[in-house]
Amino acid sequence: MNGRTRLVAIGMHLILTVWTIFVLAPIGLMLISAFKSQAEIFTKPLSLPGSLNLSAFQRAWNIGIGSFMLNSLLVTVLSVAVIITTSGLAAYVLARSEAKVMKWLYILIIASFAIPVQSVLVPLYQMVSGGHMLNSQLGIVLPYAAFGIPFTTVLFYAFFLEFPRELEEAARLDGCSRLQIFFRIVVPLSGPVVASAAIFQAVFNWNEFLLALMMLTEKSVRTLPVGIYGLTTQYSSDWPAIMAALTIATLPLLILFILAQRHFVRSLAGLGK
Amino acid sequence: MPSLEIDNVKKSYDNFQALKGVSFRAEPGEFVVMVGPSGCGKSTLLRSIAGLETISSGAIRIDGRDIAHDDPSQRGVAMVFQNYALYPHMTVAQNMGFALKMAGRPKAEIDAAVQRAAQILRITEHLEKKPKALSGGQKQRVAIGRAITRSPDVFLFDEPLSNLDAALRSQMRIELGRLHAELKATMVYVTHDQTEAMTMASRIVVLNAGQIEQTGTPLELYNRPTNRFVAGFLGTPRMNFFAGRVVRQDGSAISVQLPGVDLNLDLTLEGEGPGVGGEIVLGARPEALDGAGGIEIKGTTAVVENLGREALVYVDTGALRTFDSESQEGYVAVHRPYQVEARFGAHTSIRLDASRLYAFGPDGRSIAFPRSL
Ligand SMILES: Nc1ncnc2c1ncn2[C@@H]1O[C@H](COP(=O)(O)OP(=O)(O)O)[C@@H](O)[C@H]1O
Ligand SMILES: [Mg+2]
Repeated sequence: MNGRTRLVAIGMHLILTVWTIFVLAPIGLMLISAFKSQAEIFTKPLSLPGSLNLSAFQRAWNIGIGSFMLNSLLVTVLSVAVIITTSGLAAYVLARSEAKVMKWLYILIIASFAIPVQSVLVPLYQMVSGGHMLNSQLGIVLPYAAFGIPFTTVLFYAFFLEFPRELEEAARLDGCSRLQIFFRIVVPLSGPVVASAAIFQAVFNWNEFLLALMMLTEKSVRTLPVGIYGLTTQYSSDWPAIMAALTIATLPLLILFILAQRHFVRSLAGLGK
Repeated sequence: MPSLEIDNVKKSYDNFQALKGVSFRAEPGEFVVMVGPSGCGKSTLLRSIAGLETISSGAIRIDGRDIAHDDPSQRGVAMVFQNYALYPHMTVAQNMGFALKMAGRPKAEIDAAVQRAAQILRITEHLEKKPKALSGGQKQRVAIGRAITRSPDVFLFDEPLSNLDAALRSQMRIELGRLHAELKATMVYVTHDQTEAMTMASRIVVLNAGQIEQTGTPLELYNRPTNRFVAGFLGTPRMNFFAGRVVRQDGSAISVQLPGVDLNLDLTLEGEGPGVGGEIVLGARPEALDGAGGIEIKGTTAVVENLGREALVYVDTGALRTFDSESQEGYVAVHRPYQVEARFGAHTSIRLDASRLYAFGPDGRSIAFPRSL
């Protein structure tokens, strides 16, 4: 490494360090506040908690975090399952078909990235309402899937294009039908891309707020973000409990992410081919 | 053992014709090697036989039955790919038994077939491993084993050795020869490597630009190539080609003048010559330029490739230059059947013996052969 590239490397690391601190600071604040007492939060907001006080977690759990989490889990798992299955099949057909119309379909799917959720809120609400799916978990799973499928399809498409064709040809000679090739050869070898797509969509849908706020108005069906938001107005005096609730909400994803981050980074790095 | 017949097969991609009417027949139990430069359509033809490509016209028959439109798995062919194409998520045994499993055969039958193939290829101790735990040579054995397990009518190989190092490649050549003798199966083997073709084939098909140039046994093709392409393609180093002019013709006897050669060379034509004053190409194999007969042409040593017991010497003869050869400067390649001390610039000579030369007409067709052949 010569002096110049070394300087660049140091500069990059400096920028990344500052950025990391910037991102992690609120999370750190959330964590330490969850262990503090109400008084401590206001008198010494930045200091470490005086004692390891778990009562805030207990209070948070008692005001319904448990059921919010169950709802979040249900909605996330369902929507991710729908997204992965649909996108996988669609991307495979797009990547393998030689028909011209598929190229146009693909472009259309990419174009749909450009549609922000906010711009379709009203019609979407009307559709879900018209389908009598307000305040049902399914009502939120379908829009989540609709917004997750284009990105995931593109992710899978890139992966399938790189997938060794000889393996599929060998399978054809070995007597596999198209569907059997997909399920017996392609799917078992798609672990990395499925993992990263699943994490990506899980993070997104787990944290999704706007649609959930609109469509899940009854407390019994609320997901974590909306549920906790409800707490801020209802229990505004109990900041430690809210912080504890947020910590509980963050934890599952954090664990998932740490376990599978290798897949995640690798497949995003392969994107755009 | 069934025969394989390729009958006037054509294949076009959009507006590019990859196969321009290819016909040949592999007799039952024959080891046919299809050889040609890269891009000439070898893989296309093999993949067409396997059913991975749809042909534009023509017929592909196994034992007289046209299979050109059958499903790939119903054709009774098995293919070995250049980069093995083993399923990474399956063990060696599962890889080898996959086709039988898909065909719904009972487990006992599959196990027996896998065991038998593994014994033939000596990979029994690797059966429970995943492909990534194997070396390149072992992977290629597994790929061949996968073909054997299916007991196909016809084996297809697409450059199966080109990913292996030189030592392993010559070992596998022998191995494949043994395999063919043992299975007595009809095999079509594709390669761009003329050494593989010469050493393994019972019959060679030379393919060039989507067309067959010549078919025959290795020695037939080596000794009596039908045209300049085949003459140049088979044999290493390549045949030396010299551009000359016909100065005299009397029936089938002609005299040819080469630049830098004082005496005329007298040849006997078997085909139609260009006539007096016409251009003609003479060909000399490197081993035909070392000997006692003929005209001596002096030159200097440009490059020596010592092969141990023997040597290849590239000779700079001044005016007499080769064209379309391995040496861009037009040095003449000579094969010396003895050791040569490598010395750049040393005086040496070649001997042009008219009775050992080939001649090619303006259209590239062979019109004269060495007298002994
Ligand atoms: N799918 C395809 N589309 C268009 N051209 C192709 C396709 N496959 C092969 N070709 C062309 O056909 C010719 C023969 O290819 P191939 O059979 O792979 O050659 P070889 O195996 O002898 O090297 C090449 O010029 C190649 O570019
Ligand atoms: Mg090829």
